[in-house]
Amino acid sequence: VSKEETSDDICFAEFLDDYYVECEEHLAVSRQSLLALESFVDHPHIDRHLLDELFRSFHSLKGLSAMVGVHEAEQLAHQMESYLSVLRKEQSQLTATGVDSLIEGVKTLDQIIVSRRENVQPRDIRPLLVRLESLLTAGEPSQVPSETGTHGGDPNAWGLSTEKSAELAAALQKGARAWQFTFTPSPVLAGREINVNTVRQRLQKIGDLIHAAPHVKDHGQISFVFLVTSLAEEETFRFWQQDGLTYDAYEAPISPPVNEVKADSALDAGTGTPLAPSNIVRVDLGRLDELMRLVGELVISRSRLDEGVKRAGTKLPAPECRALQETNQAIERQLRDLREGVMRVRLVPVRDVFARMQFVVRDLIRESGKKVAVELSGQETEIDKYVVERMMDPLLHLVRNAVSHGLELPKEREAQGKSSEGKLFLRASTTGETIAIEVEDDGRGLDAQAILHRAQATGRTSFAEENETITLLDVICTPGFSTRDEADRASGRGVGMAVVRTVAEELGGSVALDTRPGFGAKFTIQLPLTLAIADALIIDVGGQMFAIPQASVHEVIQVDPKAVTLLENNELVPYHNGVLPLLRLANFFGMSGHTDTTFFALVINSGLSAVGLTVDRVLGLREIVVRPLTDAVIRVPGVSGATELGDGRVVLILDATALARAARKQTKRNWATAACDPPADTALYVDAGRGELRP
Amino acid sequence: MTNTDTKTFILFELSGTTYGLCSQAVQQMEMVEQITPVPNAPLFVEGVVFSRGQVVPAINLRRRFGFEKKPHDLKTRLVVVAHEGRTIGLIVDAAREFVAIPTNAIQPPPEAISGLSGKYLQSIVRLGERLVLIIDVDEVLNFSDFSVPAPNVA
Repeated sequence: VSKEETSDDICFAEFLDDYYVECEEHLAVSRQSLLALESFVDHPHIDRHLLDELFRSFHSLKGLSAMVGVHEAEQLAHQMESYLSVLRKEQSQLTATGVDSLIEGVKTLDQIIVSRRENVQPRDIRPLLVRLESLLTAGEPSQVPSETGTHGGDPNAWGLSTEKSAELAAALQKGARAWQFTFTPSPVLAGREINVNTVRQRLQKIGDLIHAAPHVKDHGQISFVFLVTSLAEEETFRFWQQDGLTYDAYEAPISPPVNEVKADSALDAGTGTPLAPSNIVRVDLGRLDELMRLVGELVISRSRLDEGVKRAGTKLPAPECRALQETNQAIERQLRDLREGVMRVRLVPVRDVFARMQFVVRDLIRESGKKVAVELSGQETEIDKYVVERMMDPLLHLVRNAVSHGLELPKEREAQGKSSEGKLFLRASTTGETIAIEVEDDGRGLDAQAILHRAQATGRTSFAEENETITLLDVICTPGFSTRDEADRASGRGVGMAVVRTVAEELGGSVALDTRPGFGAKFTIQLPLTLAIADALIIDVGGQMFAIPQASVHEVIQVDPKAVTLLENNELVPYHNGVLPLLRLANFFGMSGHTDTTFFALVINSGLSAVGLTVDRVLGLREIVVRPLTDAVIRVPGVSGATELGDGRVVLILDATALARAARKQTKRNWATAACDPPADTALYVDAGRGELRP
Repeated sequence: MTNTDTKTFILFELSGTTYGLCSQAVQQMEMVEQITPVPNAPLFVEGVVFSRGQVVPAINLRRRFGFEKKPHDLKTRLVVVAHEGRTIGLIVDAAREFVAIPTNAIQPPPEAISGLSGKYLQSIVRLGERLVLIIDVDEVLNFSDFSVPAPNVA
């Protein structure tokens, strides 16, 4: 008996997991639609498609919530659905309060579902229900739908489609009666071969089965509710109660507004666009990780094969050798395709992130009395699901900062000759293997003086002499740094700039800041498109091999030691129209390095922040499988991970961003003199004598 | 004697002394092959190795206990320890024994033992003629007392 119960529990847990995922999807869709809906406030006609979409989302949320017994969500979704129905019939005009209530509703739904997942008491939704109710009465008082969802999962509340309603009506006209049967399965009943299927058969014998639905009771027990029309006398099934099958007379709602809602929804649920297209498969991210790991193993095995083919090539007759090489190359190509295919599965558009950001902006506008216009671009840009989830909070933090600290109040803006409405730009774009997300405002910008003053006041005097844009970022990214004495509601929610930078760098990305006092600030977050596999340059530093992601290397230049100028302990080499500060990697890593022979410099970053990492040799370009350095004891500055090239030996992966930052600290006095801006398209990988490098 | 009365240990040698590690904590033992040095890591970190697809730090236990370093030879072993979600390799002079020790033979360490290695002692066992020092895995893997040297920025 107990075994049966546990397997039921597991089933239900899986069911709940699906519920959370589906709700999340519907909430994401409704967030998008609500933002669009806002532009229709006080318009007599609203884009029908938009309303339909919102209606569908709430309708699904309601149905799903009823199935798993999350009654608060069901009630709320129902009330929101009712309001939309009124709007669809144009019985009421969309008001700002209406949109606010719907947005509040979506947020509350989100919270309720999260509460359920975390097994905590959901917040009280009654005030919100009342608010939504009053919106309905404002529309047409006579059409107020009765509160049907109070008992959540009450089978009376099940919506019947038009067809089924018609079926029911026809049966009733013929003199049949409608009955509502409730069957609660139990192991004892199952032992008597009384289960859902036999019950269903039994019911079909006495009449027509109009509708059936599972119903979850508060303590998680599942029962099934059937709506049956029958000409049979009650005597026929009175004794079925002994078999766990109870019944009630079914009262069809009289001129039910809920049914009208259903009638409307028939076009969505029936022949219209299906709620969830059937060709979509939902996959757990963990399984994709596993798949990616397997592809990674394949990449390593192939590089072993590659070595083997090269060695065998010297011993085999030419024709055999060529055939082997061709197969080897074919595998390489196919592996690349496979890797890209797996990677693509993990990508999601940044649209949802932007929608969440806009929600945050809306709240802040109301709290602060500022006027903000949000402009989006690149919403369809795709990014790794894991990366985007990790970056969500940091990005929201940037948006909060931009609105609450960056943008000024309307009066202040007007006084400075700006339009009273502040602008917030959210942009996303991809270049090669990286994706850039920008959060830009045209507000007051970052005041270097104030920030330095603040840094000094809080004892962070090491920054005292730096006041350039780049080091400004270093200051504000110091853990615990804040320009406000008291963390305000908007920005004091856990993540500071330090976290923004840490998360971006943990993901192999970087943060850049561009600001002009009085004109605004732009934060650019660069992130790798995918984490697990990357193209990397293999380099030799002091006799040890390292890898550095190709995406972070701007250019490789050959340096003649005679061209190096020493300036206050800093080595500089001519570079394009200016100079390039060097960071001696061997020195940085405490290895012996020789400085008298020709060496190479990997140019990291461009423009003013460009630095050159000196290496002895560049050995080649390889596809590497990135593995994290999980233990703190081996997490050292300048190293972001490790890889294996096929011989079982670990090769450390350099952290370009951290190294560039170290180099900038080293040259903090002189870097401003390195005024140069190399054209971005001149990147060339200099052949290091092996003839293996590609431009 | 029943199973419940014994505990199993992996014995290893370090600078002429026999140590024991609780066998549950030991994932595997390997020959020491290629160790990749990690620049600017604490001195007792000899580098990193691949073990079962994972990048694992290789700790020189001689250095960790404050003994003199000794070049690796054929007997040198990497004892891979998995403890509280971490996986760490310990380089020891030799390791090959797996023993079951009656729990009543396990004694607390004498208070007089001092020095760096004393800190890592959990208990001591007398096995016939030999004295075995049982290592406290928690303490050995707790590296918070070591500061990481700063990279050389000239």
